[in-house]
Amino acid sequence: MTYYLTTVLVYAAVDILACLAISLQFGVSGIVNFSFIIFQAAGAYTAAVLSLPSDSANGGFQTYILGLNLSFPIPWIGATVVGALLAPPIGLVVLRRLRSDYQAIAMLVLSVIASLVVTNTPAFLDGAAGLSLVPQPLSDKFNPYSDGYLWAYTIGALVLAVIVFFIAQRVINSPYGRSLRAMRENEVAANALGKNAVALKMTVFIVGGAIAGLSGAILVGFITTWAPSTWLYPETLILFAAVIVGGRGNNYGAVLGALLVPVGFEEATRYLPPFGPPGLIPALEWVCIGGLILGFLWFRPRGVLPERRRVFPARPKALAAGEQHAGRD
Amino acid sequence: MPVETDVVDAGPATPQQMPAERPLLVASHVSRHFEGVRAVQDVSIDVLPGRITGLIGPNGAGKSTFLAVLAGTLPASSGTITFDGHDVTALPAFRRARRGMVRTFQLPSEFAQLTVLENLLAAAPHNRGDSLVGALLGRRYWRADEDRLVEQARVLLERFRMSAKESDYASSLSGGQKRLVEIMRALMLRPRLLLLDEPMSGVHPSIVGEIADYCEALRDEGLTILIVEHELHMIERMCDPVIVMAQGSVIGQGTMAALRQQREIVDAYLVG
Repeated sequence: MTYYLTTVLVYAAVDILACLAISLQFGVSGIVNFSFIIFQAAGAYTAAVLSLPSDSANGGFQTYILGLNLSFPIPWIGATVVGALLAPPIGLVVLRRLRSDYQAIAMLVLSVIASLVVTNTPAFLDGAAGLSLVPQPLSDKFNPYSDGYLWAYTIGALVLAVIVFFIAQRVINSPYGRSLRAMRENEVAANALGKNAVALKMTVFIVGGAIAGLSGAILVGFITTWAPSTWLYPETLILFAAVIVGGRGNNYGAVLGALLVPVGFEEATRYLPPFGPPGLIPALEWVCIGGLILGFLWFRPRGVLPERRRVFPARPKALAAGEQHAGRD
Repeated sequence: MPVETDVVDAGPATPQQMPAERPLLVASHVSRHFEGVRAVQDVSIDVLPGRITGLIGPNGAGKSTFLAVLAGTLPASSGTITFDGHDVTALPAFRRARRGMVRTFQLPSEFAQLTVLENLLAAAPHNRGDSLVGALLGRRYWRADEDRLVEQARVLLERFRMSAKESDYASSLSGGQKRLVEIMRALMLRPRLLLLDEPMSGVHPSIVGEIADYCEALRDEGLTILIVEHELHMIERMCDPVIVMAQGSVIGQGTMAALRQQREIVDAYLVG
C-alpha cells in the first residue's frame, strides 16, 4: 500500500511540475510546445547518466555516455540545468521566425526526431532498451526499499512541486507575466509597444525547460529506469489535456488538471474490469483524452479554473470622490 | 523635403511649415515589395514635429503597409527611415517603439484577455518587474514602479473617460472603446511620434469626433502624429499637411483645401 500511495503521489508531483511548466509556456505565453516531453526526457537521462556508474559496471549490460556516479543532488541540479540549456537551441530554431501554429508542428517533429535518434543510437543512452538500475538519491546512505525512504522521497518531490508552484505564481503575477500574456494575446502589437517577443518567449521557454528537466530527474530517481517508450510524443498531449481541463494560465488550474487527467484519469481506468481484445482499454483511454480536449475546447475553453481577472485596488481618493466617469457604450 | 518628381505639391500648408523646421521622421525612397507586388514604391516623406500629418488614399494605396514599414512591423525592401536624426531602418519594431515611435493598428489589436488597465500597464516601460529576474525577486522589488505606472494609467483613463471600464476585459469593449485603449496604451510609452492606422474606422460617429479632439489636444501638448484615415472631414480638420498615396506612391501633399484643387488627386481619390 505504501508503495502504491507513494508512487501515485510522486507521479502527481512530477505531473504537477510538468503542468506548471506547460501552463507557463502555453497557458500564459501562448507557446504550443509539443516537444515538451523531450525536455523531461533530457532531465531524466541527465540525472541517470550523472548518477549511474560507468557503463562497464553491472557487467556492462547497458551502454551510455558519462556514467559519472555523482551523488545527490548534483544529478538533479544537472537535469534542471540541461533542461534549461536545451531550450535556447530549440527556441532559436523554432521560436524566432515561425508563426505559432507552425511552431507547434516543428516542436512535434522535433519530439519524434529526438525519440528516433535516441532509439537508434544505442551507444548514446542504450537505445530502445533504455537505462535501468539508476541509483536512487542517497541510496548509499538509506535503504531505498524502506517505507521511510519512500515517504521521504514523496515528501521531497511534493515540496519541490510546491516551491515551483510559488515560483510560477511569482512569474504570472508580475509585470513580466503580464508582458507574457500580452504577447500571447497579440504578439505583433506587443512588439510595437516595445516588448521583445523573442526574448520573452525564450526566457519562458528556458524556465519551462528547467522545470521539465527537474521533473524528469524526480521521476527517474523513483522508478530507476528510463527508455524511449516512456517519453513518446503523445505523453505531451496528456499534459496539454491536463492544462486545458484545469485552466490555462492559472497555476491552480495546472495543479488541478495534473491531478484530474494524468493522475486521476489514468488511475481510475486502472480499475476497469478487462473487456474486449487486448489493448482496447489503453486505446479507449486515448480516445477519452482526445474527447476531453475537444469537449473542453468546445464547451469550456478556459478550463475548470480559468485565468483570473486582475483587479487593482482603487485609489482612496477616487473612492472618496465617488469617481463618476460614465462608461461608454 | 524630398518630393517625388510626379508629386503634386499643393504648396506650403501654413506659415509654420518652413524649411528650417527639422523633421522628426524622414522616410527616404522607401519601398516594400511582396514577391513582385510593389505595395510601397519609392516613397519619401517628412513628418514635422508638433503636427498631425495625414496620410490618405484609396484602399490598396499602400498606406497601412507604409505605416507598418515606418514602425518596423514590416522591414523595408529598400530606402531609409530616420527618426530624430538617427537611422532606424534596421531596427526591429520593439526598438523603434522604445525610441518613441509607437503605432496603433488598422484592426483592433487590444490584448483581449487583459483588463483595460492591464492593457495600459502592459505597454508601460521602466518597470523593474518586467523581466524574469525582476519577477522572481518578488513584489517588493517592483511594487513602487507598479504603483507609479498604475497611477499614470489611471490618469490616462480619466482623461479618456474610461475609468469605469478599467477592470473590464478589453475583449468586452465596443469598437470605439478598443480604439481609445489602443491610443492610451501607446501613450503609456510617452511617445514622441504616434503612428495611427485608421483609428476612426468601425467606430461610432460620436466617438470619431472625440478621437479627433484627443488627437488635437495631444498635438497641442507637443506630440507629433502621423495618421492614416478615411474620414476626410476629420483629416481636413486636424491635419496639416496631408499626404496622398495611390498605387504605392505619393501623388500629392499639402493642405486638404489645396489638395482638393488638384485634378489628379481628385480623380485618384477624393471623388473615388
